[in-house]
Parts: sequence; C-alpha cells; structure tokens
Amino acid sequence: MAEERRGSWFGFGFCGFGQALGSGRGRQVTSPEPLRAAGTDAEVCSVSASWSYTAFLSRERSGPIPPGPAPTCPRLLLSWLPAPAGAGQVQLSGSARGAAEGCRDAWASETLLVVLRDGRGPGAGAELQAWAPGSALCGEPLWAQTVVPEAQREDREDGEGDGTRARPLPLLPGARAYVSPLSPLYRPLAPELRARRLELGTEHALLLDEAGQVYSWGGGRHGQLGHGTLEAEPEPRLLEALQGLPMAEVAAGGWHSVCVSATGLSGHGPGVTGTTGDEGGAPASCIALQPFPALLDLPLGSDAVKASCGSRHTAVVTRAGELYTWGWGKYGQLGHGDTTSRDWPCRVEYFVDKQLQAVAVSCGPWNTYVYAVQRETS
Amino acid sequence: MQNNVLRLSWQVYLMAEDSNRDTLPGMGPLQEALRALLPRTKEELKLDLSENVHRSVLILLQQATNLFYEGRRSECLQTTEALLDYSWEKLNTGVWRDVDKDWRRVYSFSCLLKTMCLCETPGDATTVAAALKVCDMGLLMGAAILGDILSKVAAILQTHLLSGKRPAQGPAQEQPGIKKARNGHTSIPDTRSEEAVPRLHCPSLQYFRKHYLVPQRPVILEGVADHWPCMKKWSLEYIQEIAGCRTVPVEVGSRYTDEDWSQRLMTVNEFISRYILNEPKDIGYLAQHQLFDQIPELKQDIGVPDYCCLGDGEEEEITINAWFGPPGTVSPLHQDPQQNFLVQVLGRKYIRLYSPQESEALYPHDTHLLHNTSQVGPSMTFQLLPHPTPFLESRQMASLAFFRSTWRILTWRSSPGLLRPHSCPASCLLEKSCSSRLNIGIMCKPWT
Repeated sequence: MAEERRGSWFGFGFCGFGQALGSGRGRQVTSPEPLRAAGTDAEVCSVSASWSYTAFLSRERSGPIPPGPAPTCPRLLLSWLPAPAGAGQVQLSGSARGAAEGCRDAWASETLLVVLRDGRGPGAGAELQAWAPGSALCGEPLWAQTVVPEAQREDREDGEGDGTRARPLPLLPGARAYVSPLSPLYRPLAPELRARRLELGTEHALLLDEAGQVYSWGGGRHGQLGHGTLEAEPEPRLLEALQGLPMAEVAAGGWHSVCVSATGLSGHGPGVTGTTGDEGGAPASCIALQPFPALLDLPLGSDAVKASCGSRHTAVVTRAGELYTWGWGKYGQLGHGDTTSRDWPCRVEYFVDKQLQAVAVSCGPWNTYVYAVQRETS
Repeated sequence: MQNNVLRLSWQVYLMAEDSNRDTLPGMGPLQEALRALLPRTKEELKLDLSENVHRSVLILLQQATNLFYEGRRSECLQTTEALLDYSWEKLNTGVWRDVDKDWRRVYSFSCLLKTMCLCETPGDATTVAAALKVCDMGLLMGAAILGDILSKVAAILQTHLLSGKRPAQGPAQEQPGIKKARNGHTSIPDTRSEEAVPRLHCPSLQYFRKHYLVPQRPVILEGVADHWPCMKKWSLEYIQEIAGCRTVPVEVGSRYTDEDWSQRLMTVNEFISRYILNEPKDIGYLAQHQLFDQIPELKQDIGVPDYCCLGDGEEEEITINAWFGPPGTVSPLHQDPQQNFLVQVLGRKYIRLYSPQESEALYPHDTHLLHNTSQVGPSMTFQLLPHPTPFLESRQMASLAFFRSTWRILTWRSSPGLLRPHSCPASCLLEKSCSSRLNIGIMCKPWT
C-alpha cells in the first residue's frame, strides 16, 4: 500500500549528454518515461537540470508514511515529498558526473553547480558552495561561503509551517542575496524586497516576495520583464500590471516569464497565469513580442498551481493534477510524443492515461522533469 | 592506415552516387571539391576556443567532428543540430555586439558540418540549395573560421547550382515579370524650390577635404563611379543569376519605426519574386546588408571611392552596405553614427537632409533603440519640420553623395532599386525612390 502512494519522477526532452531522463536512450525522449534513480532506497526530492547535465537531490525517506489516503490538494501533497529538512545526496548525471553527501539543495547551470551543504562539524552553519560542473564534486569548490546561522533559523521557521521548501536556490537562505551563474556569483538583494523565491532567465530575473508581489529586472528586449516596454531594467522593479493580485509562483524561461496566482479570481475561478515575452514556439515567420502580462486560459478552465519554464517552453501543473506544456518542442520537451512546437497549452496525455497525478514540475533548458503520484483507484 | 580506409569508403560512396540518375550533373565532383576544403584528419579540424565556451559544448564539437570523419552522417547531423540550437541561443542573448565571438564561431562550425553532411547524400538541386542556406546562415550570423571556409563552400555550392540550371531561365523569360512591377506612380517631390546640394565633377581629394569633409557639408560628386562595372552589368536578371540562391536579411514593413516591421531571411530569388515583381502586397527591403562580403562575385563589379581614404580608420574598417528595394520604401528621418558615401546604381532616390543645428526640432524618439530616429514621417515633414537645408536628388547615374555624420537622414524611394550607400554622415537624408523600376545603391563607411 505504501508503494501505491509513493510518487516518482518522470522525464522527457533533450538528453544528448546521456543525462538520466527516463530510459536515457538516444538523444531525446518525446514522451514521459519513469526516471531510473541510482539508489533504490533514496528518494529523489528535487531536480535541477542544466542543458548538459542534471542534478538530483535525494534523501532517505524519514519516518513512516502518514496514514490515510493521499491528499488531493497539491500543496498538502508536497509534504509527502521527502522534505529536505535534513541533508541528502546530490547526484549528477550527463556531461557532469559525481555525487556528494550532506546536501540540502542544488542548482545546476552550465558554468556552475551551486550546492547548499551542511556545515562541516557539529553546530556549524550551512555552507554554500559553487563547483565547476566538470569537477565531479571532488577537490575544492570554486567558491564557498558559510550561510549566516540566523538566516538558516528564519528559513526553518518558515519551512515548518506548510511543508514547502522556502527559499530554494538560486535564492540564498535569509533572502539577502542570490547566486548567479555569471560573475559576480554572489549578488545581494535589498532586504525590503522580502524575497520568497527568485528565478533566473537567460537575461532577466524574477522575484516573488512574501506578499505575493512580483519584481523583474535585467534585459527586456523580448518583453520578458512585463513592464510594457522592451527596455532593460537595472534594478528590481515591481510588476505593476499584477499589483494587488497575490502570486504563488513565478517561473523564468530563457526569454519569457510566467506567474501563477495564489487564489482564483472568484470563489472557484481559474488561476491567473500571466506570461510575458516570447517563447519561440512554432516556427512562425514572425515572432510577436508581448511585453505585458497576458492572462492565459488553460483548457477546461483548469487552475494552475505550479509552473516551470525551460529555455523556450513552459510546463504547468493544475490543481487537478494535470500537466500542460507549450512552446518549443523540437527535442520532445513538451512530452506529447513528437517534436512539434505548440503555441497554446496542451495536456500531456501520458499522465492521464496512466492515472498519474502530477504534483511538481522542474524544467531544464530543453527538457522537463515531473513528479507524479498514482491516483487513488476509486 | 585509417586515412586509407576513410578514403576508400569515400570513393565507394561516390561511385554509388554516380549511378543515381536523378542527381545533378557533377554531384561526385561536388563532394570532392567540398572534401578538399577540409583537413584530412579530424585532429586538424579544430577551433581554438576560449574558456567562455562551455566544456559541454567542446564535448559535442569533438563528438560531431568524430562522427563526420567516421562517415556517420545522420548521427553527426543530430549532434550538430544541438550545437546549432545551443549556439543560436547564445547569439540571441544580450546585445549583438556583446556576443562573444567564440559563440559565433561555434555556430559557423556547426553550419559547416551540417552543410557538409547535407551534401554527402546523393541529392538534387533542392538538397544543395538547402545546404547553401545553412552555409549562408553561418556567414550571416557566425564569424569567420578556418580561413573563411564557409565563403569557399558557398562558392562551390553556388557554382554547382548554377551549372544545373536549365537554360530556359534566361532574361527573355524574366521580361514579363519586370513589366508587372509598379512603375512610377509615386510622386516625385519638386527639388527646384529648395536649396539643392552642390554638385562637383571629380574634385581633387584636397579640395573635397577642405571644402566639404572638414566643414561638414554635404556634396554630390559626379563622374566618380561611372566606370564601375555595376553601372553597365547590373539588372534584375543579373542579380538573380549571380546571387539568386543566396539567403539575405529582408526588412518587411513600411518603415522600421512601425509596429509590424520585422526582419526575415529569404533567398534573393524569393525576395525579388515577392517584393519586387508580381505586384507585391507589402514592402520588403534588402537594407543595410553587407552583401558584398557575403557574395564576392558582386564585389568585383564595384569599386571603393578614393575619397574614402581620407577617413580616420583603416581600409579594412570600411563597411560596404547594399540597399535593394522596390519603389515606395521609406527610411524615416534618422542619424547614422558614421560618415557615408552613397552611390545610386539603378533607379532614383529622393533624399532630404537636415543640419545638426536643427536636431532638436526633429522630434527624436525617447527610447534607447530609436533615439537616432525622428518620430516624424515624410508626409508630415513639410508642416512640422524646419525648412530643410539642403535637398538632394540622386539620379540614375553614378552620382556620389557625401553627407556629414552630424546631419540627419530621412529616406524614401519611389522606384525599385538597389541602393548602395557609402558611409553617409548621418544627416537628415530623405530618400525617395522615383520612377524607374530598379533602385540600386551602394554605401560605404570609411569613417568611424
């Protein structure tokens, strides 16, 4: 019975470097396939995928599975995920190999692998390390910094409440700074921003604060900042178009942005999904830019609860546990069994067919990883 | 020993192709000619790349090269496709001039391998044309590699495409098409009433420098380009013959300040057929493109005015752009950062200039992207802008117009043509193409 409720990860898209993605055969996978994790006892609790390699964060499941049926609400369901309160293992797959113990969080990019590790020695604060991906996590990191213990305590207090991980990388514990794959690596954030989550695109950054407001900055030539112009913004600027509408999630793609609202517009209205910028989806002769957030309706009036963006595609998980993808599909990263790009959200039928409920999604630049649990058979 | 095996397998492959009757004549020699451009061993086919290129990309580059030399064509194509897409993303990150040249070289290298792979199978003209498109993309977006190998590849592919053409596609067949082009119903502004730009016949370099370059005054220099071969040779048929299958960037839309303005890539044949002949539905303009770097065969038809040597920069820094379009194209009032010489080869062009003193009255845009452009269009100029000083009308023959960089330019053309602007000091240059069918001009920029 425990196995039925346990979820697992699925992957599809580009795997030209042999990174674990389903069966890992060939250079791309066009339909979701179950992930073969290296260790059978360890549970992968989060995935961070770069273009040529993927970092899997796993830990032993702590304690017994709570009794009762699996909750249907994705927020509660997330607490079923092995919560990374303790440290686990980071495993690399693809152009970068290796593993390391004592890790709480990992963030993968082509130039840097950033890991948050338990401090060496009892009572020590966590340590932030930046490694060259090719180093196999051996030797010394390129850069390391101890995380201030107060910051850690703050996070733990936040984290206990709803079981969701607060402040994932590249946002650092304490939300006073974030890590960038480009120099300078360590970038401070104004404390009054009260950042809850930060996402980096190729040329821009999105920040979600405690109140659900969104800030964006960086390059804007593709309209990805959402301020209505194609001008760059040097500093975090409030996304006025969404002001007053609390957002639950932000996701940054290569040149586009997606925001998911916290509550519906009415009692049981759909979640608002705004998307700005261009996703380079269908090879149209002309790509139109959209510099303001635009409401995106999911088919059948579904509510979006989670979103993640790749370089030129987007994946969204709905409250009902369905997965919708759209954008560039050349490497199968949309999961519809082909390499066609799509301009509008399309449901990934694999999960429906297999009675799987999608819970979380994490996109690499050209691929997609999904965490799903088996539905209750009623 | 390995090389002998490779060469043997190549020969077998070539022989197999000869038996395929659907191929273009001389498909075997095409592969030989292309192969001759590459080094014999895969170890020699290498790019020296900086640390900015990710280790993962170096892995793929090596893999693609190995696959190519092993003759594993479809796998090589897959690997190069990933390289093309990834480096393409790098080319589209940030401002173009800040893009690391090494990413452009990776892109060019990937185009090279893809072109080679496409040409290896026995194919028809379509395959070779597709390969030439890829090659052109590498030339347009990439950076020179391996002794400018892509230019050599393009030359070989073009020769083979031309040799396969049926003789029926001659000038005689083109004539009806040309007659369909719009013909001079755009009005020609009256230049008599305004102050005209002075005209001189072949002044000496010193005279030109003293009276026009230094004091920053525009002038038309007559007789300077009369002897250039392009003046006699160029026509639509000629351009199509020499460059028809080459891919070029085209601006679509009435002017670059419009919302629906865009840039597209297409072959010269497609451009001519869609935007010059056959009653075009929208405006397409092959504008400000370094056509002569891409297509050296055309460069042989033009010269570089001696006056360009008076500039501060080196001779290599002279950029030569081509402008090729139908009647009615308009360039809004704008300012170029460089000095310009403009040679009108075919067709007529109306140009209006405003002095730098009048810049503030010209309503520049607020945005960074368009800060060198006025918000005012040509039809509004008479009411809103100060009295223009002076005018210029470029005529069909080789007048060479010189403009100072501080002046502002507004251009529009009322007849189709290829304009090759020489570095014009950015003045208000109002160009309007007038009645003749073709508007061809050349512009080179000797000063920075």
